[in-house]
Amino acid sequence: MNDDLKPQSKDYWRSLDELADTPQFREFLHREFPKGTGEELADKNNWSRRNFLTLMGASLAMAGLASCRRPIEKIVPHVVLPEVYEPGTPIHYATSMPFGLDSYGLLVKSNDGRPTKIEGNPEHPSTIGRADIWIQAAILGLYDPDRAKNITHSGKEVAWDDFVADWSTQFTKFSANRGQGLAVMSEQFSSPTLARLKEEFMEAFPSAQFVSYEPVNDETIYDGIEAVAGARLQPLHSLHLAKVILSIDSDFVFSETGHIVDAMGFADGRRVHSQQDEMNRLYAVESAYTLTGSKADHRLALKPSQVGGFVLALARELSSQGLSIGRFDAPSANTADTGIDQKFVNVLAKDLLASKGQNVILAGRRQPAEVHSLVFALNEALGNVGQTVTYIAPLDRSESSTTGLEKLVADMKSGAVETLVVLGGNPVYTVPVEFGFADALKGVANKIQLSSHHDETSALVDWHLHQSHFLESWGDGRSLDGTVSVIQPLIDPLYASVSDVELLALVASGKIVKGYDAVRETWNSFITSDFENQWRKILHDGFVPKSAIGIITPKTNASSLAASARSLASVETGRELELVLLPSNLYDGRYANNGWLQELPEPINKFTWDNFAQFSFRTAQRLGVATGDLVKLEIAGRSINIPAWITPGQANDTIVIALGYGRKNVGSVANDVGSNAYLLTSAKNSGVASVTKIPGTHFIAQTQEHGTMGGFELGDPLQEKQKRPILRENTLSKFRENGLLFPLHPEIPTQQSIYTEPAYTSDLQWGMTIDLNACVGCGACVVACQSENNIPVVGKEQVSKGREMHWIRVDRYYSGDLDTPEIALQPVTCQHCENAPCEPVCPVGATVHDDQGLNVMIYNRCVGTRYCSNNCPYKVRRFNFFNYALEIPETVQMQKNPDVTVRSRGVMEKCTFCIQRIEVTRLKAKLETRNVGGDEVHTACQQACPTDAIVFGNIKDPNSNVARLKKSPRNYQLLEELNTKPRLTYLGLLRNPHPELEMSTES
Amino acid sequence: MKSVSEHHSSENTGRALPLITGNQTFNSVTEAVSRIAERKTTMLWLLTFGVTGSLVLILLGSIGYLVYEGTGIWGINIPVGWGWAIVNFVFWVGIGHAGTLISAILFLFRQKWRTSINRFAEAMTLFAVICALIFPTIHVGRVWLLYWVFPLPNSMNLWPNFKSPLLWDFFAVSIYFTCSLIFWYVGLIPDLATLRDRAQTRIRKVVLGVLSLGWRGGNRQWKNYELAYLVLAGVSTPLVLSVHSIVSTDFAISIVPGWHTTIFPPYFVAGAIFSGFAMVLTLGIIVRKIFHLEDFITIKHLENMNMIMLLTGMMVGYAYGCEFFISWYSGNPYEAFTFVNRAFGPYAWAYWTMVTCNVLVPQVFWIKKWRTSIAVMFVASLLINVGMWFERFVIVMSLARDYLPSSWDYYSPTIWDVLTFIGSFGLFLTLFLLFVRFAPIIAMSEVKGVLPQADPHHREPQTQLERTH
Repeated sequence: MNDDLKPQSKDYWRSLDELADTPQFREFLHREFPKGTGEELADKNNWSRRNFLTLMGASLAMAGLASCRRPIEKIVPHVVLPEVYEPGTPIHYATSMPFGLDSYGLLVKSNDGRPTKIEGNPEHPSTIGRADIWIQAAILGLYDPDRAKNITHSGKEVAWDDFVADWSTQFTKFSANRGQGLAVMSEQFSSPTLARLKEEFMEAFPSAQFVSYEPVNDETIYDGIEAVAGARLQPLHSLHLAKVILSIDSDFVFSETGHIVDAMGFADGRRVHSQQDEMNRLYAVESAYTLTGSKADHRLALKPSQVGGFVLALARELSSQGLSIGRFDAPSANTADTGIDQKFVNVLAKDLLASKGQNVILAGRRQPAEVHSLVFALNEALGNVGQTVTYIAPLDRSESSTTGLEKLVADMKSGAVETLVVLGGNPVYTVPVEFGFADALKGVANKIQLSSHHDETSALVDWHLHQSHFLESWGDGRSLDGTVSVIQPLIDPLYASVSDVELLALVASGKIVKGYDAVRETWNSFITSDFENQWRKILHDGFVPKSAIGIITPKTNASSLAASARSLASVETGRELELVLLPSNLYDGRYANNGWLQELPEPINKFTWDNFAQFSFRTAQRLGVATGDLVKLEIAGRSINIPAWITPGQANDTIVIALGYGRKNVGSVANDVGSNAYLLTSAKNSGVASVTKIPGTHFIAQTQEHGTMGGFELGDPLQEKQKRPILRENTLSKFRENGLLFPLHPEIPTQQSIYTEPAYTSDLQWGMTIDLNACVGCGACVVACQSENNIPVVGKEQVSKGREMHWIRVDRYYSGDLDTPEIALQPVTCQHCENAPCEPVCPVGATVHDDQGLNVMIYNRCVGTRYCSNNCPYKVRRFNFFNYALEIPETVQMQKNPDVTVRSRGVMEKCTFCIQRIEVTRLKAKLETRNVGGDEVHTACQQACPTDAIVFGNIKDPNSNVARLKKSPRNYQLLEELNTKPRLTYLGLLRNPHPELEMSTES
Repeated sequence: MKSVSEHHSSENTGRALPLITGNQTFNSVTEAVSRIAERKTTMLWLLTFGVTGSLVLILLGSIGYLVYEGTGIWGINIPVGWGWAIVNFVFWVGIGHAGTLISAILFLFRQKWRTSINRFAEAMTLFAVICALIFPTIHVGRVWLLYWVFPLPNSMNLWPNFKSPLLWDFFAVSIYFTCSLIFWYVGLIPDLATLRDRAQTRIRKVVLGVLSLGWRGGNRQWKNYELAYLVLAGVSTPLVLSVHSIVSTDFAISIVPGWHTTIFPPYFVAGAIFSGFAMVLTLGIIVRKIFHLEDFITIKHLENMNMIMLLTGMMVGYAYGCEFFISWYSGNPYEAFTFVNRAFGPYAWAYWTMVTCNVLVPQVFWIKKWRTSIAVMFVASLLINVGMWFERFVIVMSLARDYLPSSWDYYSPTIWDVLTFIGSFGLFLTLFLLFVRFAPIIAMSEVKGVLPQADPHHREPQTQLERTH
């Protein structure tokens, strides 16, 4: 109660006084009435009751409006309701999400004008209806409360008109001098409209510079292909056709360009449902332990500098086994020196030759151009081009260019750049420190930045424009294969922000062009006739069907190949400690302020809210560091302090660090989480690193602390002996012999329940299968579930206490020894046991079974004894230890799925098999007087899964996918011996080692 | 420190000790006991009450913060959904076993030595059960909805889930508390009447008059009273066994390895008696010293209790061994792991604390000299209480490592766990202090019944003593 208000206010306003005095409300008033009201509040003596009421009334009205943000044009009720629109019924719109040089086709769910959930567009070739973690988490980025909310000039808030006026004087000036001293720095893009505007810009300002740069880029891939094929071509993989796949430092299931399609193709080659089915074989050569490595049948851990030598050794072995690789003349290098397992190379070459035209070699973006040249030639020689790998000449692109950036920075330093427009991106954070970008900025007189947040760069620029999210702006994009997609907004910009298209159009033309008009202007060239109708159809579909670019068949230039090979052979491999920088869950750091991605466990090591300097077990031992110790890393005079982490199986003498952490003053989520590995980056080479242990230990938040199935530490002899039958696996050859999955439980007695089991009479009996062979552990299901089911983000401290709220998790188990362990991944969510142990122990009956076989949780009835969770052998139940829902920011509340309860504190929750989706489908079927199809309902995790590992449906319908999969010989129940009869079953993991290598590892 | 009578009795080797020493008369018994309740409040009492009262405030504060903020202020997590709260619950319920055992079961078995200790043992039971009941109440996520576990008629026809052991628990403990309270109160009536008759002030006269329910000590009243007392003892006896058996089903009904065992009911009952006697002994030694009741609570009483602790301690030790054997013999790898993990895993320190305190410490009572040494038995009783708390801790922490190693986690308590537990001791001691200040702490009427002069045949002391065995 505010004493100052007391004398003026009568008793019956007391509650409103109190309301007015809450800090939230004060903040709200300040926000809504930035100037006048703020002063009035400050000068409390001027308060009259009338003034107060006026203010309250206006504020409450504004509060009402703010909670249902809609495009202004539509705020008048529809006089004639559009046919598709029913209040309360969500509508899906097709759009696309720009991601580097790719563009993902999406369907976005909109509830009464609020976009709430993103799915892949099933028709679109870039996603085929699937998603990855970044697509799933993008919706939270839209509602990020820390987004920049206005245009600022030297830190002061200004209007868009002020910027336009300022630019028009600059435009006149640069028009006169052909753009001398003008530069644009963008993120890389693949967009017809941006490409057109770039062209216009270059036409208007021929002397200006236009540079694209992203820290995680595919430059070396295109450089390598250009070196031998003469053009910067985009490789496209058809992994489903491949019998043998060799990944050379390519995490193609998780983070490489095109990973959704590649993961899908890879999993398609591993769907074994009978003893006769074929299965591909994956060889992985890598430094870090990546998800791709975890799926590999044979994995070789090499230092980055050894990888080139490995490719050379392979080429030499292939050519000695009779493959003609152009006029490839292998320089002789001694593989013994580089420490490469000759047997591995030998068998791999044999396997590749045996599967000519049906195998593929992929090299990752961290490899130098020479490796990509060689891989290009090998794929050609192995007859894969046109089969498993095809090439297109991409259009409408602006690729990242480190050399272009280097020149730009040099010009900035020399004062040759007068005006710099940073069109998206955060160069101060991402550009290699040796370039000295921040210093170079000082030499630029006029600095303009467009970005979604006030970031590291924003602090140093003059004009900061807040960038629109792709869900609130018009644009377009080309996918990797060239398919043209449209980006259409689902909501008016929340903060009247500016899109990249709009800013570039203004910069190029000096005029304000609406994003919508700019895109339509571009698309006039795609749509030759009947523009309006075609355009409407494209907006409906989200993309132009059959707009992929035709494939070409490039040829290897033999002499350049020989040059590449020679240059590879000369790489020094004796360096002591080598640095490997990986994109993380935050990608390159652009998603650092996204709580879902911060809390998503790192896929292999399962830490959250952090990054570490990861060492192999032996290297850590040699350096005398352990997980959680703080170390100082130094490379060429640059250094960071970072906690250490032991990752078994990582290449010895390497330091792996995830990018994207260590942000400063960006947002409440991102600030001071982890360490900034960009401070170690260098454009030339990774250099020699030194590690010094410094005092102190680090506070770790990990979602899985025990890594093996026996419960013993990796390397403990008891571990293999006492392995629990949790994740059952076998080799393909043994599976073909006996059809069994190992390890089986020694004996599972026939068990009976002391309670009468329900009859489950309904025609709808829900069940799920998770194919462990297909699962790549990417975590898309986790984020999708979080988005669909309003799952709170609890923060690092709560995660460290074991209170993460994810309804589905991906368990990771190591097996084998500490140097070359295998990894197996297993998504676990509520198993919906028919004999659910959680049910009888609840004193109030808050968790019960329904007649469709779902184990349902009644939040209203739950008093929170937590006995159900104690008695759940799968530990999939999650408890609201605090009122996490209270901490959801106002904007993020708009993301919440209205069909799912936001849980209060003291309540248990868990996977519902997306019961809200089941109910919507049942209602729809009922209205259409038909039965629900066996495969009609898709759970959120299933829909997002890029590899179709998760299949859900009606197990009573014998034709449903799930019913058929449950008949697979690989089908098993997790903890079957407990007689819980789970509705979720797993399809066991198969590995497909080459017989010759298998023998050698066994002996 | 030994009193004169103890020196005297220890010289009497080979002979059973007298129940009450110091040549007490009926009047001296009344005087000795009533004086404590009637004298002015001592400084020592006020100081102690101040300390324990502060602890009660800590308890209330901790509970208030818990209700305000949520159970997240404790160290519990997933997988360890139950932490100190449930450990404390079982600990206090266990302590609450000795009183009713002493008053009911020993009464039925005509163990006359019980008369000196049954009153405060019963009081202790009640206070321990009150402390116990706090924990399951506050540990739920939504305390304000806990009444849903009551089978209340409602318009939704919703019943609690009678399959749930938590519900059985609720019934078992509340019935136990009700019966213990009535039993204690009925036993108090003649003594309250004595105090009433001696009352000097108006307030005491009225309050004690009401509480003593018109007791006049007439023959018919005594006849009915003793029958009622016998019936109540009969009713309470099965409850002593049932309440901790039911509490053990909270664990035994589940499928958690380390919880799911049929040995739990007898094992828990033995443990409860063990810990209950330890607590009676701890308090008894203090009360005896402070209020100079060495003639009433003689070394013989203490020795008898020590022998019971030696017995139940070995039963508990046998249960520990049996669990290990069965986990191996069952061939169930999860069970086997759980027990290996108990002894050598992250909570091994707690396990070995438990084994030391509960199995090794009571072994000192094999030796008569230690069994009758106040210092030894006081330290032993404290250690046994610690050990029994750790036993429950070890059992609850089976949750930390169950079936899927992926979800294993470590539990550590927060300051709020600790404060709530300390606070519950404060409540227990506060209630006990109020009891020793205002109520007759020794059952005068019953003690008079075992004095030699109460025996109409007035046999020689030795013969009368032999009857007590």
